[in-house]
Amino acid sequence: MQKQAKVINNKKPLGPRIRKYWQFYLLFIPVLAFVIIFHYLPMYGIVYGFTEYKVGMTPKFVGLDQFRKLFGIVASDASEATKMLAARKSQPFWLAFQNTIVFSVIKLLLNTGFAVIISIFLNEMISTKFKKVTQTIIYLPHFMSWVVTASVFTLLLAVGQSGLVNNLRRSVGLEAVNFLAEPGQWKIWYYIINVWRETGWQTIIFMATLTSIDPGLYEAAAMDGAGRWKKMQYVTFPALGNTIITVLILNLAKIMNLFESVFVLQNDAVRNATNVLQTLVYYEAFNSGAVPDLGYSVAIGLFRSIVGLVLMLICNYASKKVRGRGIM
Amino acid sequence: MKKLIALTLALAMCLSLVSFSAFADDTVKITILVDGTIPDQNNGRDAFEARWEELHPGFDLEIWQPDHSAYYTDMQQRMVSGNYPDVLILSSTYYADFARNGVLWDMTEAWENSKTKNSGRFTGDNVFEGLKIDGKLYGFAPTRGNGCVTYVKKAWLDAVGMEAPKTFDDYIKMCEAFVNNDPDGNGQADTYAISAAGFIGNEAPFINYLPEFYQDAYPYFVQQEDGTWIDGFLTDTMKAALERLRDAYAKGLIDPDTLTNSTAQARTKFYDDKFGVFTYWAGTWATNLKTNLEANGRSGELIALPPLEGVPAYFDRVPPVWAITNKCANPQLVFDTFIDTMLDGGDCQMLFTYGPENVYYSFEGGFHMLENLEKAGTNYTKFHIDPMLALASFAEGYYDPKEESVLPEAKAASALFNENSRLASIVPATEVMGEYNGQLTTLKNEMVANVIMGVKTYDQALADFQAAGGDIFSAAIVESLNALN
Repeated sequence: MQKQAKVINNKKPLGPRIRKYWQFYLLFIPVLAFVIIFHYLPMYGIVYGFTEYKVGMTPKFVGLDQFRKLFGIVASDASEATKMLAARKSQPFWLAFQNTIVFSVIKLLLNTGFAVIISIFLNEMISTKFKKVTQTIIYLPHFMSWVVTASVFTLLLAVGQSGLVNNLRRSVGLEAVNFLAEPGQWKIWYYIINVWRETGWQTIIFMATLTSIDPGLYEAAAMDGAGRWKKMQYVTFPALGNTIITVLILNLAKIMNLFESVFVLQNDAVRNATNVLQTLVYYEAFNSGAVPDLGYSVAIGLFRSIVGLVLMLICNYASKKVRGRGIM
Repeated sequence: MKKLIALTLALAMCLSLVSFSAFADDTVKITILVDGTIPDQNNGRDAFEARWEELHPGFDLEIWQPDHSAYYTDMQQRMVSGNYPDVLILSSTYYADFARNGVLWDMTEAWENSKTKNSGRFTGDNVFEGLKIDGKLYGFAPTRGNGCVTYVKKAWLDAVGMEAPKTFDDYIKMCEAFVNNDPDGNGQADTYAISAAGFIGNEAPFINYLPEFYQDAYPYFVQQEDGTWIDGFLTDTMKAALERLRDAYAKGLIDPDTLTNSTAQARTKFYDDKFGVFTYWAGTWATNLKTNLEANGRSGELIALPPLEGVPAYFDRVPPVWAITNKCANPQLVFDTFIDTMLDGGDCQMLFTYGPENVYYSFEGGFHMLENLEKAGTNYTKFHIDPMLALASFAEGYYDPKEESVLPEAKAASALFNENSRLASIVPATEVMGEYNGQLTTLKNEMVANVIMGVKTYDQALADFQAAGGDIFSAAIVESLNALN
């Protein structure tokens, strides 16, 4: 590590480096242009978070008003009615913020946990053919769109005769349950559906790690008298540890990006309790009966980005500590 | 040599540009942004475009058509990035707000002087009066809004030995028989009486899928006779409506998956004989329902019910309108060419109503609609304008194929709807509404679902609604509406 740091410190100034390696810099130009055009220029849209802006109308600068609205902040001398309105208006925002974090973190832990377990099972399989078939089957759900996934599970969980799960419950004398209409049940099924859809795909990275473990380690462990469990305990798990942490850290940075999976499974009975920030923005915009104020939506988006950035910095710091290198 | 090649290439490029511009003519381009109410490219849109351009020499029609369900998201994205069409189709919500905020061209004068209005064939003065915002017209509707009527399967009525109901009590008895008396005759108790895509609609008139239960209740802002506004959701009539729905749900009359049904799922269940009473669009949909039932081997005979005693009338929604944006370079020309010809009583009206010839219809062996390009076994029933809802007839002497193209059940359903419908009104959009109504709608819909499914009593659900601020959002919006008076 020290050696690497020394090399960096001895770097030549940018100008001479460009002159020396101009061919590489030339090749880099399209990528740089792409990043600037599609990632940096659109950031200009951030300014709308400080305006009141409806489609077709000229944006009006309102300073931090959109953020005050978001957080329910009003002037101390405002009337009680205004304070009450502001407080109620910001309630769903905080609930959606909490949901975004909770849903994402639980989803991440469950998906990673199940992916590790399944990877180990797959790795232990002796029949290569069976292993490959199993892998193909568990990868498939990842390629289904969320809309199709939601339609399939809505049918499976239906209360009426088309609902497979409730038909099974009825067949053993249990009452049918409207799984997607009660917030507690909805959340459980949300996690189950996510695990079903994403776990298989996530096993790829763990399978890669497992196959790269030196077989000599297992042979040595066997010679030391280790059984299957002991081999897993002392060889497999330590080898996977670094990958698990890497996967968790990399995904933590993305936890604010939650929309489609929630949106397609929501319904009127649970919408308020299950909104995440992006679905909240959507409903605020399209359920209002008026042309939406995009400034407010941008303000929510900007807040989301700032939280995402903070998480990213934390992850980068954690990554440096754990892996010796950052994620950016 | 390299220099020579480079020079030749550069020269060729310049020449190609010159030749391209030399071929460019004086064609006037009209861009339109439209949802799925104009059939898409899989359903003859290109042929429609070609025919329209043939009817309007010198004009190039460019159609921007995002996915129907993402229309308003796409529209906003385009407009935010300054990509305005000349003409676009708008629902009443967007129409009212855009008009008030100067996004749309004021077509009042153009309309007054238009060929359509002065043709003697136009019959939609009352509809257009309803479209005026502060006395000015910003949008053109070629048809009435249409609405839903309740269809009952005749075979099911016969199977349970009942007549079509006239009162709510009879309606409930019929529904009970549909659940308990095995109306489909398969020997199993596997039928519901009613299903729908949700307990409450997402747009005005909100209650059109379950009108027998909502009756005189209306869950949105309503202007009273004295001009003041109230929120119909917080009235006793709404409470009574929710209790009627809750009772029917508890008895198992309503499909328990109504909450999560999409429109397509509800329709499929109807075709599969899962339920027998379906409130759906009047007019050509009567034919669609019939043919789809028959395609599934069921009896397609449906009875369209007149409103029950106590149900004031079905709702005729505010029609979507064609509007010209304020960024259009020559709005009068666009109005004259695109909008004023839509109901010209001749070839253009024929095109908008029945689509391109030999794609949607054919005269071979007499006029008849052709088979749907995407759904084998079913025929097209219209293109953009429903012939039964058009606000102008064809010109005298011009062949109108309505008699041949519209089947009797569609005519009957449409006639019944026209006799028994009331026009929904536009609720003005205020800034306060824009701020709080999204949240309020979420709270209202949650309360409706929880009461009907018996998760909460009305009073419990109302208390939760109030705790979340529903009542103060509602009061603030009502105040803002009253301030407009």
